[in-house]
Amino acid sequence: MQELINAMVEMEEDKFLSLTKELLEKGEDPNAIFRAYQEGMAEIGRRFEQNEFFIPELIMAGEMMNDGAELIKPYLDEDAQAEKTSIGTMVLATIEGDIHDIGKNIYGMMMELSGFEVIDLGVDVPVDTIIAKVEEVKPELIGMSGLLTLAFDPMKAVVDKLKEKGLRDSVKVMVGGGQFDQTVCDFIGADGYSTDAVVGVNICKGWLEA
Amino acid sequence: MEDKQDKFLEEWASGAGIEFENDEVKAAYQYRTNLIKDAIQLKKTPDRVPVMPLAFWAPIDLYNITPKDAMYDTDVLGQAFVDYSIDYAPDATGIPPMISHGPTFDILKYKMYKWPGGGLRDDLTYQYVEDEYMKVEDYDHLIDDPSDFFWRKYLGRAFGALEPFADMAPLYGSVEITLVNSFLCSVGTPPMQEALEALKQAGKTNFDWICKLLPYMGKIVSSGFPMFAGGATKAPFDYLGDTLRGTTALMMDMYRRPEKVLAACERLTPIMIKNGIAEAKANGNPIVFIPLHKGADGFMSDKQFQKFYWPGLKTVMDGLIEGGCVPCCFVEGGYNERLDYLGDFPKGKVAYYFDKTNMAEARKKLEGKACIGGGFPISQILKGTPDEVERGTKELLDTAAGDGGYILGIGCAMDEAKEDTLKRFIQVGKEYGKY
Repeated sequence: MQELINAMVEMEEDKFLSLTKELLEKGEDPNAIFRAYQEGMAEIGRRFEQNEFFIPELIMAGEMMNDGAELIKPYLDEDAQAEKTSIGTMVLATIEGDIHDIGKNIYGMMMELSGFEVIDLGVDVPVDTIIAKVEEVKPELIGMSGLLTLAFDPMKAVVDKLKEKGLRDSVKVMVGGGQFDQTVCDFIGADGYSTDAVVGVNICKGWLEA
Repeated sequence: MEDKQDKFLEEWASGAGIEFENDEVKAAYQYRTNLIKDAIQLKKTPDRVPVMPLAFWAPIDLYNITPKDAMYDTDVLGQAFVDYSIDYAPDATGIPPMISHGPTFDILKYKMYKWPGGGLRDDLTYQYVEDEYMKVEDYDHLIDDPSDFFWRKYLGRAFGALEPFADMAPLYGSVEITLVNSFLCSVGTPPMQEALEALKQAGKTNFDWICKLLPYMGKIVSSGFPMFAGGATKAPFDYLGDTLRGTTALMMDMYRRPEKVLAACERLTPIMIKNGIAEAKANGNPIVFIPLHKGADGFMSDKQFQKFYWPGLKTVMDGLIEGGCVPCCFVEGGYNERLDYLGDFPKGKVAYYFDKTNMAEARKKLEGKACIGGGFPISQILKGTPDEVERGTKELLDTAAGDGGYILGIGCAMDEAKEDTLKRFIQVGKEYGKY
């Protein structure tokens, strides 16, 4: 099992997949394999925070995790799905008017790897769609992404609507994208901002631990 | 021997060949170009810091024009940039053709972007649709024969109307009377004829558009305002990642097929150089913009930067200098971890226009080596007050202006702006930026 974790952390994709297959064929508990994946992910996250790993490793890790989960699936009992524990839920979207998804996807992946449940609404998501989802699932967090400066106003509209509906205090709002800073964060009325996925994840973790 | 870059900068700065409205505007043009030239060359301290906000869609926004109107009504587009140049009087102004022409893309069924009138709301600027326009299996094709790859694979993936190009025979069959038939027949098929018709129409539409736009651009320059660049090119890794493989795919390629990534970057390098030089020469402006994307802090490790990103970019910049141009990197994101690389050029031959990089550090690391620019946050222009902008601009000038070698600018390609804050920014730059 340690070899599997090492292969994952060292980005040895082929070895990682063949070891997974081998272990499954030998009758290893699929949940144990899944736990090994999570252990590998935790190490990858740690290296990410220490600036040893960057976006290529993150994307590779996400890809390995997905491909590995596909291999495991047939070995799982119908009713005994892989254990899933979440430390909090985030409704995530690229705000209306903006169709860029790379930043949002990388951030969403990082959040999932860090144990959050992420409900990704996609790109160009209208203010009201975000509000409706928040009312429905009552998440601890809202994440809004935007590459363009035109994203600032609709993000503010989301926060204003939350206030109107008396929902503002029940949820933390995280915003991010290339041109975000404290000025923009204050204008929107968000709780935090980030131009960097890892920093953004850590801020959210901090909120939930507080 | 005369330095080619010095000569090109000199020619551009002199305004030779431009018919100015009068001697006063000619002097104003020369004053502006010389501020920029002196800031780049680091030979003498300019009279003041040149002020060069990267106006992209901002002129459209400032005059309350919708992006759709700008992309579909050439007169509206041209007039907005004329008005912006004269009303705001930056030392280098925006470039109208960057807004591009909607009808051309309608004809070609452009897939790589959505634009107002082409899949986006009228009030939105065009946006890139990330995808794998070059597939994994195309690496060898690109490396072996880039032009063939572009004609027969890329065009059809980028433009819906050009999909039949995929079935065109390679051009190499056109050499002998006995061989030319299969090439010609492949061009003569009904789908290919339709695609050629679309290309012909799109070309004509674009040509008519630029002919209509040129008088406006002439008016801008003859009123004394140079444009901020003569051409643009890319770091080979960005060229491969931005619009060919896509971010996600290229990042995985770095692990799955690093040797192909390197070979592709190497193959693209001379092409990037030639493209930049050709555009700059055609426009008579030596400044070649290089927007930097995937090599920024946080995107990749230093080791990966050294292996995949920097060698290609460095070679492109060296090639541009050799060709008489000034590579001006638009350093998007932060480059705080990479500043040492940026100083690796002869003094006064390159410029860096920064986004989020710490400007004090940039000044320190590049002092006496290269011109720096930018660094003012767009958030202040959009959401700050004029007084806040004044304070921020002065602070930035205190930090970055030194005794030359700085171009005052906003750290992003400006899509939106506000009249009171932008005017204050430019005014403070001109007054407080005096040396």
